[in-house]
Amino acid sequence: MNSKPQTGKFAAQRWFAPLIVLITFLVLPLLFNAWQASGQGRETNTFAGSVQPFLAKNCYGCHNSSLKSGGLDLQSFKSAASVAEFRETWEKILKKVEAGEMPPPAMPRPDEVQLRAATSWIEGEFKRLDAHVKPDPGRVTARRLNRDEYNNTIRDLTGVDFQPANDFPQDDSGYGFDNNGDVLSLSPVLMEKYLAAAEKVARLAVFGHEQLKPTMVRHQPTLRRRLEKAGPPVTIPPQYTLTNYDFTGLGQPSALHFKHFFPADGEYSFRMTTYRNRPRGSDPVEMALWVDGKVAKTVQLDQIEPEGETREVRTTVPAGERWVAVSFLRQFDGLPASYGGLNPSTRPVPAAPARGGGGGGLQPPPNATPEELAQLQKRAAAAAGRSRQAEPADAIVLNWVEVVGPFEYAKGPSDESRRKIMICGHAPGAHNAACARKIMSNLARRAYRRPVTAPEVDRLVELVADTQKRGHSLEDGVSLALEALLVSPDFLFRVERDPDNLAPGASHPISQYELATRLSYFLWSSMPDDELLHLADQGALRGPAVLDAQVRRMLKDPKSKALVDNFGGQWLQFRNLESVKPDLDAFPDFEDYLRMSMQQETEMFFANIIHEDRSILDFIDGKYTFLNERLATLYHIPGVKGPEFRKVELSGDERSGVLTQASILTVSSYANRTSPVLRGKWILENILNTPPPPPPPNVPALEASASDATVSLRQMLEKHRANAVCASCHSRMDPLGFALENYDAIGAWRTQDGNVQIDSTGTLPSGKSFHGPQELKAILRSQSGQFTECMTEKLLTYAIGRGVEPYDQKTVKTIAGQVEANQYRFSALVLEIVKSLPFQMRRADRGKT
Amino acid sequence: MIVTGKCLSRRTLLRGVGTAIALPMLDAMIPACAAPSRVKAGKMPVRLSVAYVPNGMVMDNWTPKSVGTDFEFTPILRPLEPFREQMMVLSGLALHNGNELGDGGGDHARAGGSFLTGVHPRKTMGADIHNGISVDQVAAQAIGGETRFPSIELGCDDMRTTGNCDTGYSCAYTNSLAWRTPTTPLPPENNPRAVFERLFGSLDTNLDPAARAELTVERKSVLDYVNERTAKLVGKLGPADRHKIDEYLFAIREIEKRIERAEQDSLELTPTIEKPDGIPIAYADHVKLMYDLQVIAFQADLTRVSTLIYAREASPKTYPEIGVPDGHHPISHHRNDPVNLAKLSKINVFHAELFSHFIAKLAATPDGDGTLLDHSMVLYGSGLSDSNRHIHENLPILVLGRGDGSLKPGRHIKYEKETPLTNLFLTLLDRMGVHPETLGDSNGKLEHLTDL
Repeated sequence: MNSKPQTGKFAAQRWFAPLIVLITFLVLPLLFNAWQASGQGRETNTFAGSVQPFLAKNCYGCHNSSLKSGGLDLQSFKSAASVAEFRETWEKILKKVEAGEMPPPAMPRPDEVQLRAATSWIEGEFKRLDAHVKPDPGRVTARRLNRDEYNNTIRDLTGVDFQPANDFPQDDSGYGFDNNGDVLSLSPVLMEKYLAAAEKVARLAVFGHEQLKPTMVRHQPTLRRRLEKAGPPVTIPPQYTLTNYDFTGLGQPSALHFKHFFPADGEYSFRMTTYRNRPRGSDPVEMALWVDGKVAKTVQLDQIEPEGETREVRTTVPAGERWVAVSFLRQFDGLPASYGGLNPSTRPVPAAPARGGGGGGLQPPPNATPEELAQLQKRAAAAAGRSRQAEPADAIVLNWVEVVGPFEYAKGPSDESRRKIMICGHAPGAHNAACARKIMSNLARRAYRRPVTAPEVDRLVELVADTQKRGHSLEDGVSLALEALLVSPDFLFRVERDPDNLAPGASHPISQYELATRLSYFLWSSMPDDELLHLADQGALRGPAVLDAQVRRMLKDPKSKALVDNFGGQWLQFRNLESVKPDLDAFPDFEDYLRMSMQQETEMFFANIIHEDRSILDFIDGKYTFLNERLATLYHIPGVKGPEFRKVELSGDERSGVLTQASILTVSSYANRTSPVLRGKWILENILNTPPPPPPPNVPALEASASDATVSLRQMLEKHRANAVCASCHSRMDPLGFALENYDAIGAWRTQDGNVQIDSTGTLPSGKSFHGPQELKAILRSQSGQFTECMTEKLLTYAIGRGVEPYDQKTVKTIAGQVEANQYRFSALVLEIVKSLPFQMRRADRGKT
Repeated sequence: MIVTGKCLSRRTLLRGVGTAIALPMLDAMIPACAAPSRVKAGKMPVRLSVAYVPNGMVMDNWTPKSVGTDFEFTPILRPLEPFREQMMVLSGLALHNGNELGDGGGDHARAGGSFLTGVHPRKTMGADIHNGISVDQVAAQAIGGETRFPSIELGCDDMRTTGNCDTGYSCAYTNSLAWRTPTTPLPPENNPRAVFERLFGSLDTNLDPAARAELTVERKSVLDYVNERTAKLVGKLGPADRHKIDEYLFAIREIEKRIERAEQDSLELTPTIEKPDGIPIAYADHVKLMYDLQVIAFQADLTRVSTLIYAREASPKTYPEIGVPDGHHPISHHRNDPVNLAKLSKINVFHAELFSHFIAKLAATPDGDGTLLDHSMVLYGSGLSDSNRHIHENLPILVLGRGDGSLKPGRHIKYEKETPLTNLFLTLLDRMGVHPETLGDSNGKLEHLTDL
């Protein structure tokens, strides 16, 4: 009240005066103590003294109690206590004011001295609060295995790599990842699927494939330029000629690429159906079936006009997901000589086949009217015109491929399954009474990821025995007991237990087994292996040297590919490549081969950082990548031939790091054009960890579509930023995106967008300006601390399966500091997370008595 | 596996998935499922079905100018013209809780999340999702015990989403339309093959009675085991973990009930379509197939409640097959640009055409003394009207069918501004004999649906 002297009521003031003196007298010692505690100078810098006036002068204009711009009412923060109460909001306020994003550029700049005073007080308050914060490891909710974790766990537990979870409903995600305990729910539909999958997996593991009926799956291109479109189709990709092209045919628009899951090692049939024809007079052409980049079978297409022909080949394929492709080998060889291709055909060019009926063209019906006759003549002329037109060299394409099978497949359980389940150590069928106990206790321990009690094993042995009593074999019993294990909550959920007699809210280290489980689901998306469980048995897993060695071992293991797919795929969002559908009129070059190659590049890049333990700053500007011929042509990088991916050193300014990989550039674009806003937002969210707030309601997104080709996107966005409210975020997003404007919506380099010259310069709110992607990366690299904190927060979120809370900020900063001190090595990041408080400890439930 | 008139055992319901797959392409559905005999004579059950389309509607091309029985068919509604007599266009309804109400951005997440609950979804990335119980689940919980499946939830999105679904909201709000409890969404099934297998089992008709009996014993012992394990676990858990295990327990109970119901009812099922291979390549085929599956589920009285999501809210799906290569969500922020509006309208019309496929099937399927459509209430709509400005008022809403005969369709009715959409739900529930006092933000029942 003493801060409001403007009442003008003399009497009232006189009445208040003694009170004010009294209050001052009482409060002063407290203030003095605060001054002592917080270091010098704080007495002049207070919330009421510097922060409130600063906000009032610079911010209340929009962020007041009636407007609440951006949902923020700064007037409601009336005291220093609000900082503790609304910590997250204050963190944001500080970030924005310090970055110069607020007040928005169109508004007058705050006085620099006042700004420093306000921000330093807020920072000081944070420090003061943090010093008093009790370390809190947080509490992770019981996590249901998600689809990937279920598949991998089944594989590692039973030796059956069947991917049953591919049929499960999609897992919801929270905080950007689909392994969040709070969000993963369990519906009755999913429970039905668990039951069905358990039944199937258990039979498969114990008996092998009993009755695997052949199935048929048809694969068609998910995207293909409409073939019936007028005019010649896209023929040869621009970088090729008829005599110098991709002889494998894999990169030709005629090829077909897809991933297929083969349920068993076995023989499969591939039915390949063509559409349209080779130019008349061509030599026969060879069709090749590729499995994982190798030619598995070839077959000759010797028809003159093979349109709609189906050729069937059979070959054995090992179980698992395979990259299958069908292409025409040396497609432009053997064309009629007039085409000018290699090894021209010597066949005579036959006359155009008659169209529209019998020998001599179109026969008019006996009593045709003059109108009908004219119509017929017109059609005949059109047909003749068509046949004179040269047929495109690559008119023929693969229309679809059907995979049918398996026909012959290995019977009986796999060696892997036998080793993991039937551990009794003798020939099948020779079991004795002790076997059931031995088998089930091993299985239960591994399925439950912890030691099992004698009564727990008894119950499972009882299931086996009951089955035998009904006249079935021990194997039948084991299968049923395994089925029961696979649907029990101990298996489906990763439940961590509070030790008994723990005070509510007290923290405790998680058990050795819980630690082993956290580790394995973090790095492998799967259950702990025997080595981890063994170390947990010995109580040795927590030793720093052991933990260090285990993390390194686990990262080297091929199972760490799960970290690339599940963490990388969601952090960098390249999982979305599976569903992007670029507009084929704008990007005729895009097809499934390119889509799959893009994903492969980023996955291999990420995996390489893990396996070679490289600096995480390579994500920003690592000067190497992994390419096959298809991707190298998109990037205009010479000398990469063939479908195999290989490491390629990069030079020049066009490519380095993930920001300029086609995968990222594609998922951050619209279907028919680039979006500097989306790309800027992508960088803010995933590299800098400063996601922009949502656009305020009722402000139309200005750049939903570039409908006016004469105005550049940049000009449109500049107009948008003239609005102060819009500018507050767009001044952060847009420049970042403009730096990447040299890449089109599928990641190809360009210098023009339509008729408009690309301008990839920009200035960040901090005042730093750049020219082109390489200079932007240099700026991002110079902010390596911010990137490290960003990646730390993302990986920590993924590792512990809950959102990062304000009380985790200290942990995040500590980890990031350690990573920096260790040359930004990937292993350092993982190790520091694994050693951190939230990973090692757990808060006991507050509600528990 | 080609189904040729062979009857299904009721005990085959839970048999494992995918051991047999149909080879040929799908045929058109021939309605031939045996109509259940247990339905009381003279009174056919009322079915409730909801179809959700994302990203609003071009309202100028949706709302008829005139009200009453003589309303005209606008471009988007035109595909439904054959069903004028069975159709109600309801204008003016609002989804108040889709609005920001102090929560800032995220209108798409709220549009989808609150559409059937009428509750303001809690803004959270995941830690504490909270919504309401959706109207379909209110119905399912009341009458679901009479059928094998209290409800079915279907979707036509085949992609995984990563990142956040809409600013600050967990993907749970956009992925699921149906909410069994405020914290338990029911994610839709997107794969027609999985829907088929759920409805009909995977048809192990070659099992002899002894093998079937053995299977029943085995399943029972597995469920017994699971119940024991859960009981042991539950006592040691805190509330959040406990909640997860409760979900699990509920799911187990549901399955046990279903087995019981399957043993009690005398349904012998003959699916009238072949088992789908998976998700069809063409989106139109996908949606139609999902609709066909709903028709046979209703026809065989396997369930009386269904929901279908065309694509999740804020879906960026492209529609090159109808000349719209742009993403649906980006183009829905049309800025009143005529080019964008034309493209958005194309998508709206396309969706309505697919819906009319469903209605035609329902209208052609005999059910008791009438058709399935006569005994259904099919809601079609979006939680946004103008997606460009994120308007949750004057929503595009249709109801087709006559309910139990007391609905009086064939009209365009305009309600007062801000009439809660949930009032409509209360009225529809009424028709099914379910009478909750309120639902979400409802403040009464919707008038004029049952009188002229």
